[in-house]
Amino acid sequence: MSKKTKLIKKTSKSFLITGFILIVLSSIILYFYTRNLLQNEIEESLYSTEARVVFAIENNKIQFSLPPVTEIKKVNKLKRKILKDTVIYDASQDEMELFRELTTFKNINGENYQITVRNLVVESENILLGIVISNFAIFLISFIFLYYLNTSRNLKLWKPFFKNLEQMKQFSLTSKKPIQLIESDVLEFSELKMQIETLTQKVQTDYENLKQFTEDVSHEMQTPLAIIQAKIDNIINAHEINDKQFKQITSIQKDIQRLKQLNKRITILTKIDNNQYINVSSIHLTHLINDKIDSYKGLNINNISCNSTEVLMVSMDSYLADILINNLFSNAIKYSRKKDKILINTTKNSLTISNIGDKALVDPEKLFNRFYRESNKNYATGLGLAIVKKICDLYQFKISYQFKANHHIFSIEF
Amino acid sequence: MKYLIAEDEIDLQQSIVTYLQRDGNICEVASNFEEASEKVSIYDYDAIILDINLISGSGLDVLKIIKKEKKRAGVIIISANNSLTDKLQGLDLGADDYITKPFHLAELNSRIKAVLRRGKYGGDEIMVFNEIKIDTKSRTAYINHKAIALTRKEYDLLVFFISNKGRVLSKEIIAEYLWGDDSDLLDNFCFIYVHINNLRKKLTAEGAKYIKTAYGSGYKFIED
Repeated sequence: MSKKTKLIKKTSKSFLITGFILIVLSSIILYFYTRNLLQNEIEESLYSTEARVVFAIENNKIQFSLPPVTEIKKVNKLKRKILKDTVIYDASQDEMELFRELTTFKNINGENYQITVRNLVVESENILLGIVISNFAIFLISFIFLYYLNTSRNLKLWKPFFKNLEQMKQFSLTSKKPIQLIESDVLEFSELKMQIETLTQKVQTDYENLKQFTEDVSHEMQTPLAIIQAKIDNIINAHEINDKQFKQITSIQKDIQRLKQLNKRITILTKIDNNQYINVSSIHLTHLINDKIDSYKGLNINNISCNSTEVLMVSMDSYLADILINNLFSNAIKYSRKKDKILINTTKNSLTISNIGDKALVDPEKLFNRFYRESNKNYATGLGLAIVKKICDLYQFKISYQFKANHHIFSIEF
Repeated sequence: MKYLIAEDEIDLQQSIVTYLQRDGNICEVASNFEEASEKVSIYDYDAIILDINLISGSGLDVLKIIKKEKKRAGVIIISANNSLTDKLQGLDLGADDYITKPFHLAELNSRIKAVLRRGKYGGDEIMVFNEIKIDTKSRTAYINHKAIALTRKEYDLLVFFISNKGRVLSKEIIAEYLWGDDSDLLDNFCFIYVHINNLRKKLTAEGAKYIKTAYGSGYKFIED
């Protein structure tokens, strides 16, 4: 995913960039325009000075030069007029100065004259610079001002949007409360608000319906299952059947048992969703674990050992604590060989359970999904770990899975 | 014993009747709320098997009637709802036990007998089968008045067998009875053999050869 920029930052940024480009462009244009204007002014004054000089010569009034401003020379041949920039030492300023120079050749009263008039350009350059700098400054100040004004106005304008966004982030499907959005006088925001409300409402009802449906299905399934089971119990008692039929019938019983488990687990998931486990008490998880290990010994499961450095106490519903431990255990038992050790470790605020595995899971991120099974063996319902995750989520415990040194390791931080 | 089975699912009701009648019990049935309320107030039963969701009313209300009329009958609630609150509510109202659908008839039967044995309802704390006598209060089994040492599971197994004497019990039913949900942790039921064989050895040593194999993989507690 590419890096995301905040809306306000983004609009401000484009505002600033546009502002900067505008400043530079306008300064450049202003520079060339003013320069051109000044140059025209200088040339105009040069031409007018020249005209006056010509007029003075014609009337024999002057015959002198005043370098560098005016120079009058008699020449043999007339040439084309020259208009150029030139650098001349100015004694009054004691430095080299840039002059604009106009040289014309005129035949006045039968004699050929070369008339050169010059004008100092330096001052015009300073004026030019002054104009550009003040333009720059005016623009900059107004842009900074506009920037802050804009940002604060935008923040105010977008406030309903950000508030509602925050509400949406906090929106939870499982809570039955409708989303609380604030109204805005901006048409688009108002529309957005309405759409979000409609959508979340729909999602919530759909979710509720789905939950209800799951609950109903698992509930409705129990009676027919009970009937099947009862009938089977009677068949094996009332009828003469052969060994093969008995095997088949008991295998049906096994399938009913699977459905029973499935039903039970779906019910647990639904109940957690419905927040029906509310009897939070302090649970001695280390005790619970050791009790479980003992009870598994009766099932001839002797490969579990608990290594507790510290006692683990957790505040949660006792029934859910039982299910949590049970499901983690049964998962480890189902996916390990009978001889392989299953190790449990508890500290003051964490629980780890590890069992030996040949290879890492193909899709570890799907591990806690409903009905995800790594293999089809052991008649797993595919709900055990989903329930574990759900319980952890309910109490904000952090559960993680990793495969390390040929061990499947589940850890919970409480 | 005289039982009332109040269950609106006729198939289930009849299956329960069939199973319970094998011991020579008298089974009456009620298929809806009205029938159930009427029967419990008029007649006396040793045990009432009561479905919570009766077609036209709640089994819990029938239970209230039973308690109001001070009937001395053991009440076992059967329900499709596995919720703890329902269970507690039922037990609070004075039910003796609670079983969730689907269940094995053998399990229901042994629960009924356990309720009856508690003494209140015309039952006896002592279970007798020929020379075997079980004192359910002290959880001790005697053969010809000689106490035999049984583990907890072996004792439970023996009670389960005697409660369901003459019926075929598959390994699955036994496993579920003894270990509940944990029973599905095991790929095979070898461990069942271990427990049954140990019990059988202990009984046979005292001359009580009643555990018979049925259909190769099931068991039956029966006299020759």
